[in-house]
Amino acid sequence: MLRRTFLMLATSLATVCGGSHVYAACSPDYTGVTLTVASQTGPYIASALKLGADEWTKKTCGKVNVVEFPWSELYPKIATSLTANDATFDLVSFAPAWLPDFVAYLSEMPKEMQAGKDWDDVEAAYRERLMVWEGKIYSQSMDGDVHTYTYRKDLFDDPKEKDAFKAKYGYDLAPPKTWKQYLDIAEFFQRPDKGLWGTAEAFRRGGQQFWFFFSHAAAYTNNPNYLGAMFFDPETMDAQINNPGWVKGLEEYIRASKLGPPNALNFSFGEVNAAVAGGQVAESIGWGDTGVIAADPKQSKISGKVGSAVLPGSDEIWNAKTKKWDKFPAVLPAPFMAFGGWQIAVPKAGKNQKAAWDFIKTLTSPEVSGQAAITGGTGVNPYRKSHTANLELWNKIFTPVEAKEYLGAQADSVNGKNVALDMRLPGYFSYTEVVEIELGKALAGQTTPQAALDTVAKEWNRLTDEFGRAKQLAAYRAAMGLPPKN
Amino acid sequence: MMRNDPIKHVFIWPAVLVVLAISIFPLIYSLTTSFLSYRLIPPIPPRVVWLGNYVSLLQEPRFWNAILTTTLIAFISVALQYAIGFSVALALNARVPGERLFRVALLLPMLLAPVAVALVARMIFNPTMGPLNQFLTQFGLANLPFLTNGRWALACIIAVEIWQWTPFVILMLLAGLQTLPEDVYEAAELENASGWQQFWGITFPMMLPISAAVVFIRLIESYKIMDTVFVMTGGGPGVDTETLTLFAYQEGFKKFNLGYTSALSFLFLVAITIIGVTYLALLRPHLEKRR
Repeated sequence: MLRRTFLMLATSLATVCGGSHVYAACSPDYTGVTLTVASQTGPYIASALKLGADEWTKKTCGKVNVVEFPWSELYPKIATSLTANDATFDLVSFAPAWLPDFVAYLSEMPKEMQAGKDWDDVEAAYRERLMVWEGKIYSQSMDGDVHTYTYRKDLFDDPKEKDAFKAKYGYDLAPPKTWKQYLDIAEFFQRPDKGLWGTAEAFRRGGQQFWFFFSHAAAYTNNPNYLGAMFFDPETMDAQINNPGWVKGLEEYIRASKLGPPNALNFSFGEVNAAVAGGQVAESIGWGDTGVIAADPKQSKISGKVGSAVLPGSDEIWNAKTKKWDKFPAVLPAPFMAFGGWQIAVPKAGKNQKAAWDFIKTLTSPEVSGQAAITGGTGVNPYRKSHTANLELWNKIFTPVEAKEYLGAQADSVNGKNVALDMRLPGYFSYTEVVEIELGKALAGQTTPQAALDTVAKEWNRLTDEFGRAKQLAAYRAAMGLPPKN
Repeated sequence: MMRNDPIKHVFIWPAVLVVLAISIFPLIYSLTTSFLSYRLIPPIPPRVVWLGNYVSLLQEPRFWNAILTTTLIAFISVALQYAIGFSVALALNARVPGERLFRVALLLPMLLAPVAVALVARMIFNPTMGPLNQFLTQFGLANLPFLTNGRWALACIIAVEIWQWTPFVILMLLAGLQTLPEDVYEAAELENASGWQQFWGITFPMMLPISAAVVFIRLIESYKIMDTVFVMTGGGPGVDTETLTLFAYQEGFKKFNLGYTSALSFLFLVAITIIGVTYLALLRPHLEKRR
């Protein structure tokens, strides 16, 4: 009997000690909590979420279940769940452009997360603009997105190529300052017989195509003399997408499609990265993933030869107010914050809101997000100051020269004086769908750039009227960081 | 229990009511929605527009383009499925060597999920990395824009449809061929009828009822094509390969334009009904002749 009592006591003591040990490891303790996150199909973003999930599990003992949907399915899946007010997802990762559609169903970020060192470390373009909706924070950036320029340094540094280029075009071969130079370079390197093409961009409907077009057009339409007038007139909400600046952008985008590999019209961003990393093209534009993938020797043939720069610009920008071209003393780059970087938020209907916001804190911490940013294939690009400042971190994947150019291009773009914000509007997909359709027709030569954009403008104005012009105007001004109109 | 025992109603009616509720309620709900201007995103309060959605759709070139595209895919692919399917079924019925192996192998495409087939097809038709273009370039031919040119893309979708669904036609027609009476052919052979004469005089007319059924099923199914197009082209370039179901999906699940999508679904139902009724009306005299 005594022996049995002793055994029981020993067992109880061991259990208590073991239990307290587990408790000490979980801080805060979310044992038994499983968070479900909606994500696009990996590896992009889903793998970053899994990276954050592993860290969060180690820290809190909670679990994270990342549910993946193809890009084209993500919006309907999240929208259906949110509008039904069901608790399918504890967290949703989404494009900033969808925020106006989702905001009514999202919980506000806890105030304590909106202060401190980690908060201030987020680049102002995200913290003060993309994460804000009508003065409140409903989501956290988990990725930074701005289009930049990528090129093959081995080709650009080759003295023979330099001489030949100068002889043909009359200026030095270097990262382009204007889109005209960008097309000249693409034309110069168009050598199908040698398996080398000029450029790679996304042209496929449903393949992130329209952001590439917007990047071209931003240079001619994002006018600092009339702020926020790139997509719509911020006074009247009249569509601007068929003005001469946009038409010029489209003409150059179509020209770029003819200076790419033969299947370029079927390229989405994934194929762009493959073409760059495969050494098939001399230059390209796109998100920061391109540089990271191209630098990775496991995925790339041009590792060690990757150059980066800010997107080309223009010294002439269309003024939507005066309806004239404004001439600037020098070329003004208009880096386009295409897509704006993935955001993550907590639905109001979620049953584990506290745990969900805690997961976001871990996921977007400088350490975890910094690791994700240098891991090729996570889809995470720099969005914190610490991401671009920590050169040592980037030396793991880039050579020092590559790292300097890459981080310089990222930081200069996000902090650029004339940075162009992406469109964020209720009914976003209704607006972009017609763009995709008309771009497809224009790229296939079935219609002229002007006719295609006239159709888009007509549909945009119709949609604005249908959704309520005053309401859309207020949303557009908020998205562009303009004060409400009296 | 007697045949006229009233207790039978206790067993029958609950089931009938459940079936009616499940099948009729969504239809009525959808019909009601089709008379509303009703968007889920951005949320706009529903408002009655009566036939407004129908009128807008009928004036929408994209709707007519989707009808034309779907009709082209359905009619061309089903015609070829039937021609190829009948030929292969005849061959298999003639007891060719290895017939059993062919029979199993030919059924495989039908057993695959259309999404998987479309993904494989997308790789095969890839202009630079795809094996088809690589094969063609071996003979000095240029890369063909399989999925980036409207006409080529449509042809590729039709080819995939034929590849996947011809086995269904083969299976059904082979079953029909095996039920045909032998003595009719023996009599024809005594009369020295050629194989061609036997086919047009005996096989084809006797197979007409089952042929009509097979073509009808495939035609209706082809009008519902969505996954293959979604994966292979996404409806592009532009809207060149956009089918009715894909158009409805874009309106319903991308733009959440529920009223408009409901109207589109009903117009789709009307179109399918008209095609089905016309098809059966055209065939009726021939089928009745066979009775």
